[in-house]
Amino acid sequence: MGRVRGASPRVFGTSGSPVDPRSAAVSVGAAWAHAPYPVIVADRDGGLVELNAAARLLWSQAVRGDALWDTVPAWLAEAHGRFADGVPDGTGEVSGAVADRFFEAHPTPADDGDVVWWLIDDTDRRLAEAALAGARQRSALLADVSSQLLSTLNVTRCMEATARMATDHLAEAALLVAPPQGRRHQLTYAYRGGPVSQVTAPVDVHAVPGLAEALQGFPPVPARWIDPASLPSWVRPADFTEPVGSVIVAPLPGHGVPAGALILLRSSREQAFSGDEELFARLFAARAGAALSAARLYTEQASITATLMRELLPPRLENVHGVEYAGAYRPSRDNERIGGDFYDVHPGTGPTEETLVVLGDVAGKGLDAAVLTGKIRNTLQALLPLATDHERTLTLLNCALLSSHHTRFATLVLASVRRLGSTVELRLTSAGHLAPLIVRSDGTVEETATRGSLIGALPKVTSATANVTLRPGETCLLYTDGVTEARGGPLGDELFGDHRLKRVLAECAGMPAEAVVERIQMLTAQWVGSGSHDDVATVAISAPRGADLTMAGGQGRVGSTMYRRNG
Amino acid sequence: MTDLPPPALRLTVTHGALGLTVDVSGDLDLDTGDHLVETVTEHLARHPEAPAVRLDFGELSWIDSGGLSALLMVHRRARTAGRALFLDRRPALLERLLRQTGTLDHLTARPDQDDTAGADAT
Repeated sequence: MGRVRGASPRVFGTSGSPVDPRSAAVSVGAAWAHAPYPVIVADRDGGLVELNAAARLLWSQAVRGDALWDTVPAWLAEAHGRFADGVPDGTGEVSGAVADRFFEAHPTPADDGDVVWWLIDDTDRRLAEAALAGARQRSALLADVSSQLLSTLNVTRCMEATARMATDHLAEAALLVAPPQGRRHQLTYAYRGGPVSQVTAPVDVHAVPGLAEALQGFPPVPARWIDPASLPSWVRPADFTEPVGSVIVAPLPGHGVPAGALILLRSSREQAFSGDEELFARLFAARAGAALSAARLYTEQASITATLMRELLPPRLENVHGVEYAGAYRPSRDNERIGGDFYDVHPGTGPTEETLVVLGDVAGKGLDAAVLTGKIRNTLQALLPLATDHERTLTLLNCALLSSHHTRFATLVLASVRRLGSTVELRLTSAGHLAPLIVRSDGTVEETATRGSLIGALPKVTSATANVTLRPGETCLLYTDGVTEARGGPLGDELFGDHRLKRVLAECAGMPAEAVVERIQMLTAQWVGSGSHDDVATVAISAPRGADLTMAGGQGRVGSTMYRRNG
Repeated sequence: MTDLPPPALRLTVTHGALGLTVDVSGDLDLDTGDHLVETVTEHLARHPEAPAVRLDFGELSWIDSGGLSALLMVHRRARTAGRALFLDRRPALLERLLRQTGTLDHLTARPDQDDTAGADAT
């Protein structure tokens, strides 16, 4: 590396320019030859003057006098042309690739029109930036995947979204295989740019290497182990006709149970899946699996709840054999938990037969309470022929419900109702429940004298029945503790309480049954306000007021209207 | 550190000559009932010599049907283990619930009286 040789070839190799053999050596100096960065000196016509040791590592074949165009990449040769012509862009700094490295090139002019190019290796920073951008993009994508998938709790839609996003970001085609239902699997196909389609078919999952294992939640088989040629035809979406180049089979891990498996396909036209992409596919599958299993669990629970709720919905009440009935049920706002309040009316077979009204409250909430409620309602229906004897009915019911495993119990009120002339005769028996209240015409509110033990937890039950006569316009109210234990009021934490209930009922004197229950429900709802509340169930039994029929009917109540027709 | 609100139900168990005494303080309901049942069951197993279980309700602030269900289970466990159950210092709230549900006599009957004592619910 001779520093004195620096300018000498240019003397012969260039023309039309002032020549000073010493100037290059003087302006560039001696130190550059050993600089750790590549340095190139070129004359204004694009002839290579000198390279230092670092530059020679890049262009080992280059010799003095070579044309820059034949030696360095075009981006640098072009930049040199611009700079030598005196039209540099700003500082004239440019950047570009040299072989597999990346450089920034800074030009400085030398006295005689030569240009010294200082190259700074930028490869590592570029790689780090690219890696960072890639990581950012992937995590943004994963966040997007989660938010898109978690925004729906519908399993089918969730599977569609998974397959579609897989083709948007990971593969040309995707197939989501759901866990088997019997021998059939639900298959969700997606093809980039095409519609998502779903079929359910009895496919042989063992035909795809790693799929049976993935469906059991085992870790994925590396993509390179799967021979694309061995894939059965059902794996491809209909639109995907090209030969398959590479395949990933990834399990969708759920909450303890696998939520299915995802098969990603690329045609041989595209690059095969890299290790990074395979890893990313697994992360994607993990997000999708979590969302899918959440949707699946929710769907199962929602369908169980819906089934139970259908059974538990209280009946619509009306006028039966000349007696007015009205019921209202306001479930606890805690939607996912079925409450334990219920009521039923079993009409007598004829006007002279008693109608049995049951209102009860099962301790607890959720599935256990729902099961017990169903049991009580069914058992009581079966015991209807014996309902003339309340104590016996309750004893039989208690025996049917007793369990050594728990002390879950119910409290309930039985009311046998019969119209007798213009009055209504009631036999009321409380089994550990709040005693029914009687609203007399003059606004007096009486608590009925019935008492008994709760049902389902004691080896032996006892009860005392009260006989009550309702004169026209009088009402008997059966209610659950959701009314009296409603918390709210001005301070937000006060119980509605039985005194307040009795005062409200006194104001309901003479009202039709439907109006009474509506008023109680409305007032407790107001009392609770936006706070949480337990189930509230109320049933009113009224002796219709003969003289006031027209007025009562004018309010359009079902019970009153029916009564008018009957009367 | 964050000051957590006090737990809804606090149980303090002491073991003396009269047997196990459990001070039940706070809310005994559907959510906390299991805690009482588990605590009593555990201490019954640990102290087979204790002749009785006394639940002290002096500091009870709330009880609902879920809490009563837990009391019935505690009673059943005590009976099965041959221990008497005492419900001490019952507040009006508890007294009323026990009377309304016809469980007072059942829960407070002595083992030798059996359940016939509970037959007279008026």
